Amino acid sequence: MSDYESVGQISEFADPSSTLVEVDDEAIVLIHAAGRFYALDDVCTHDGGPLSDGPLDCEDQTPSIACPRHGAKFALGTGAALTMPATKPTRVHETKVEGDQVFVRLSE
Amino acid sequence: MTSTEAADFGALIAERSDEPAWLTERRQRAWNAFESANWPSSKDEEWMRTDIRLFKLDKFSPAPADNAQPGGEALLAKGVDLGGRIESVNGRAIVSQLDDDLAAKGVIFGGLSQAVVDHSETLQAIFDKEVVSPTYDRFAMLNDACWTGGVVLYVPKNVHLEKPLHAISRLAGAGASDFSKTIVVLEEGAEATLLMETDSDDETTSGLHNGTIEIVVGKGAKLRYVNLQNWNNRTWHFGHQKAIVGKQAQLQWTIGALGSRLAKVNQRVALAGSDAEAQVNGVMFTEGKQHLCYNTHQHHEAPYCRSDLLYKNALQDQSRTVWRGMIGVDEAGQRTDAYQRNDNLMLTSDARADSIPGLEIEADDVRCTHGSTSGRVDDTMIYYAMSRGYTRQEAVRMIVTGFFQQVFDRITIDSVREALGEAIGQRVQDLPNQ
Ligand code: FES
Repeated sequence: MSDYESVGQISEFADPSSTLVEVDDEAIVLIHAAGRFYALDDVCTHDGGPLSDGPLDCEDQTPSIACPRHGAKFALGTGAALTMPATKPTRVHETKVEGDQVFVRLSE
Repeated sequence: MTSTEAADFGALIAERSDEPAWLTERRQRAWNAFESANWPSSKDEEWMRTDIRLFKLDKFSPAPADNAQPGGEALLAKGVDLGGRIESVNGRAIVSQLDDDLAAKGVIFGGLSQAVVDHSETLQAIFDKEVVSPTYDRFAMLNDACWTGGVVLYVPKNVHLEKPLHAISRLAGAGASDFSKTIVVLEEGAEATLLMETDSDDETTSGLHNGTIEIVVGKGAKLRYVNLQNWNNRTWHFGHQKAIVGKQAQLQWTIGALGSRLAKVNQRVALAGSDAEAQVNGVMFTEGKQHLCYNTHQHHEAPYCRSDLLYKNALQDQSRTVWRGMIGVDEAGQRTDAYQRNDNLMLTSDARADSIPGLEIEADDVRCTHGSTSGRVDDTMIYYAMSRGYTRQEAVRMIVTGFFQQVFDRITIDSVREALGEAIGQRVQDLPNQ
């Protein structure tokens, strides 16, 4: 497993917001919602849409982000595909906050 | 656009004060276009599958090739008796040789930077043709404004080059870039073989290549052109490439695409004179998280032309390839015979290949066919080979070699076939036993 990489300071990420960050050459969407940080592959499993450009839904019991292309929703916590047309989950990565820095560690 | 970029452009112009005025003006026009354009985005049909949001131009510098030393033996040059060779580092030529007898016949082969000064008029006429549109997209604009080197091959009428010519472009140092133009012109009845390849000095530094290739094959001329893209897997590779094939001329264009982190290449062939012929061969082998996107276009503008394209891709790990192929036949392109095919071999379940063939036909008397296959490597075949005493790795290598054989059979230059086989073999060796 790779190491934690700093992606920026907490203050750079409004709550709620989603931001495209680069971790180990990969496009990751970092989401700040209700005080928590989530990191998912910024690639929709339906046809590669950029999740970071899509709307967040933090009101629902399962907070999610929707793909701007065809609307598939992915759970922030697990990456599970919640609605069609996506059927496969997108990868989720570990996040942690230390001091004022946000870190992401890529999962395999 | 940042002020750093504008300052870099100013410095580039100042550094190249020997250049003819027509070229400086052209650079300035391209720069102005670049400044007012946006990078392509996923909203553009052509870029939908190729994500360049992580590409940051300011991470790369036009690093000069100061103190650059020639590298070791190039893959495509191994054991080949060459008529001339060029080596460049970070887009600037450091070696340029051509046999005296060829130079005496009027052949021009050398670095583009020098050629535009020495043969300004000839080159201006070629630039004016705009074989590749300098405003096609923001990468093309940037290339047209900021190119620092590249290769020119000009073969006069009826001159036949017996020995192949070779050029290698290398990237050296972190954040290095190569902005180059390759220009190949064969006049009527000329014949030549050009072998070109790319290489990175080490495996871990990131690099940028933004280049164009413009080829004109004159009436009855014959060009064999090999292009091996072997940058390291941390290099961004953007390319616009186009060949115009004249009446009764023949082009054999072979592409090996092995390297780069992300590649977005437009490879176009225009059959512009009647009875012209183009064979396009492509071999791609990807690994890790590589993303290689090749758009090909076979454009039949004249009658009785033949084009035949075969791309074969083998993918491992989580790599991805995108091939979008188009055959376009103008109304004038009667009796066209065109073929395109793309086969994909997935060596892992996480790899992904998108294959999108297309036809646009305006003539009514044509034969245009296309095909595409994608498949996983066959476990029964591996099992069979292993039961005969081969390791899994050896078995996979055999399957990959067999898969590519069809393209290799079409490559008439022995050394090229061997070099491609070897380059692919080296990469398959890294396959984890699974
Ligand atoms: S690409 Fe995301 S829903 Fe289709």
